[in-house]
Amino acid sequence: MTWFADSPGWRAFRRDTMAMTGLTLVALVVLAALFADWIAPYPSHAGPIGDFGAMGAPPGGRFLLGTDTIGRDLLTRLIYAYRLSLEMAIVVLAIATPIGVVVGLLAGYLGPAWSYGLMRLTDVFLSIPPLVLAMSITGFLEPSAIHGMIAITAMWWPWYARLTYNLTRAERQEGYVVAAEIVGASLPHILFREILPNCMPSILTKMTVDVGFVILIASSMSFLGLGAQAPTPDLGSMVADGAKYMPDAWWLTVFPAIAILIVVMGFNLLGDGLREAADVAR
Amino acid sequence: MALYRTLLSRAALATFLVHATPLYAETVFRLDASAPGEADPDKGIDYIGSVLAFNLYDALVVPGQNGTPVAPHIATGWKIDGNDYVFTLRPDIKFHSGHVMTADDVVFSFKRLMALGKGNSPLFADRVASVTAVDPQTVKFTLTGPYAPFLGALVRLPVLDSIFLLAHKADGKFGDMGDYGEAYLSGHDAGSGAYMLVSHVPESETNLAKFDGYFLGVPSSAPDKVRIRYGLQPATVRELVASGQQDMTSQWLPPEVMRALAGRSDTHLLADRGSNILFLHMNTQKPPLDDLNCRLALTYAFDYATAIKLAQVTDKVSAASPASGPIGRSEFGFNASLPLFGQDIGKAKDYLAKCKYKTPDEREIDITWITEVPAEEKIALLMKANFDQLGFQTTIKGAPWTLYTQQVTKVDSTPSLSEVYIDAPTPDPDSILYNMYSSKSPPTWESASHLVDPEADKLLDAGRAETDIAKRKAIYEQLDARLDAVAPAIFASEVSGVFVGLNTFRLPPFEDDSKRFSAEEYGLQFRLVEMLK
Repeated sequence: MTWFADSPGWRAFRRDTMAMTGLTLVALVVLAALFADWIAPYPSHAGPIGDFGAMGAPPGGRFLLGTDTIGRDLLTRLIYAYRLSLEMAIVVLAIATPIGVVVGLLAGYLGPAWSYGLMRLTDVFLSIPPLVLAMSITGFLEPSAIHGMIAITAMWWPWYARLTYNLTRAERQEGYVVAAEIVGASLPHILFREILPNCMPSILTKMTVDVGFVILIASSMSFLGLGAQAPTPDLGSMVADGAKYMPDAWWLTVFPAIAILIVVMGFNLLGDGLREAADVAR
Repeated sequence: MALYRTLLSRAALATFLVHATPLYAETVFRLDASAPGEADPDKGIDYIGSVLAFNLYDALVVPGQNGTPVAPHIATGWKIDGNDYVFTLRPDIKFHSGHVMTADDVVFSFKRLMALGKGNSPLFADRVASVTAVDPQTVKFTLTGPYAPFLGALVRLPVLDSIFLLAHKADGKFGDMGDYGEAYLSGHDAGSGAYMLVSHVPESETNLAKFDGYFLGVPSSAPDKVRIRYGLQPATVRELVASGQQDMTSQWLPPEVMRALAGRSDTHLLADRGSNILFLHMNTQKPPLDDLNCRLALTYAFDYATAIKLAQVTDKVSAASPASGPIGRSEFGFNASLPLFGQDIGKAKDYLAKCKYKTPDEREIDITWITEVPAEEKIALLMKANFDQLGFQTTIKGAPWTLYTQQVTKVDSTPSLSEVYIDAPTPDPDSILYNMYSSKSPPTWESASHLVDPEADKLLDAGRAETDIAKRKAIYEQLDARLDAVAPAIFASEVSGVFVGLNTFRLPPFEDDSKRFSAEEYGLQFRLVEMLK
């Protein structure tokens, strides 16, 4: 670990206050999501339950952030909503990134015909506004968290295809790639053992930033009723549900909105910090 | 000089006052409604679509008051001879165009409704063999067979100005009738009602103006204009009312928001007590609720008092009240001798002990609620708490309306319990109960209990065949009791539409029990609104 602590990238990251703020926020969110069952004040409130004696309680007392219109503890539901948001981001990126990377590698390395065909397909997806594309897909399906993930995945892979394509185009001219070709290395070897490792820092940095954006898009879809359905706690649908009760029950909207702000800002700051650290390391 | 200045300033003040005080202060009644707002009376069947139809158009009969199912309106009277219904029309009714209403307009209106096949056309489908204009003031309907609910269904047959509408028809699929004026009526009216359509943009806004030539007259206290806006967010409505920019809310505001508005000194609450019941349909063809004892156990386990409390707006006003059966207390055929439902865990356990399904696995039930109606989630959670406590294994699922309507038409895909608010489209209980509980009726979204009960079938058929009002009333009272006994649903509560209004107006049909009508929506007649300032 000494090499890591002494590396110029980490030293630059540590000096970056905003990056460290991002890391702290992300760490808090991830820990809260991981240990939700232990730290949430009322874990059963994340499920199908109503506490009809505590409906609409304002923040304070038994309920730090208040309760919703069914009497469920808002803090508990926010913690569990973080779990769903992170799960969604991980699943989406775990599927979208490999697809986009493979498309980008093939289009960037193979001849003009491959490049033209694959990148025009990518452009078609990129030309449709992301939220509109996701809404169109969920329009065919029953609204649910799973279908929301499918929709976001369908709109996310092209960004990785475009990024990887540009990186591959630059790398394919490098001497190590030419050398591999001369010694007769196979296509998978050149793509995945030679070119891809050199593209990974940029791809990983984008993934970090994208966690926040995926959560934001998922929340937007839930806000429109196209994501996770009740009683599953979800940040976007909590904002949407709470908006009906403004300004009297302000906490129902304000706290979920702040929760979205925290997680999106955390991942953005962390991503920016990682990018700058990677630049320093190079 | 001082005198000159004084005279000059007084003259200036007088000039200002003359110009500042209008000779005639126009009154505008402003409200909101759920989208879309359908102006064509042969298409709109939701709340605001019905309200528009009742204000822009007139029908042969209207919902009655004080227990009378229907009252004369355009028709001064009628004779029933077997399957023939002959109506005599008032001679003094003028449409907004100035044309005089005749029997030909009634015939045209009926044919248009059935040709379009939308809106309330199912109320008459396969029931009317012919409709003819005997003379300008007499119209005859010949039915295909005995069908006593026909009179009540006529409340939903708006009479259109045939001459005017045909002059505005476009090309369409109805031969000589073109498009039957379908395109024109989507943004205009061809009625004789107390209000005329000034402008109409679906999903956005409708503006109406008083019709001075209305045959019943329009009181001077009624608003000169009415402005309806659609699809406003609850928070927006709250602010508009609080700032005096809107006179009345819709009934779809969450109780929490209504409570906040009702707490203000410049507002009052109004209620449209029609025939709306919260039905918790039980699938009588699927285990474990195919066993009557299991159904009765759930009926007694449900916490009715909390369900009503959940709809509470203030300490005194709730959008729900206790029910005693599927027929509401303001409906024709209501059986006043039936006890109100209430939770009784002792009885619930007794019935459960008699139920043939004993093991937890056998007592698994699923509850579906409509996701577009957030209040239903609370009731679903309440059911889960009640039924789990009794020993059932309950799961809850929300379903969008379109999915729900598909699911419940087949026994296998119908959930054990499904929650739905239903109100009768006409003042006749047949309009809701036949589709819901007759085993002869094809399955629809209303028939989620899939009841097969020969006794209920017999009473439902008898209600259709009997034209004597007193005898019909007795039949539906028996039916009310029979349905309580066979428990095809938990009749959770009678539901009222509760509205918040500024103290700028009064609406007696929503505030005075003696002035309520026998069908929902009809009370929101703008000519009955009394503007106070």
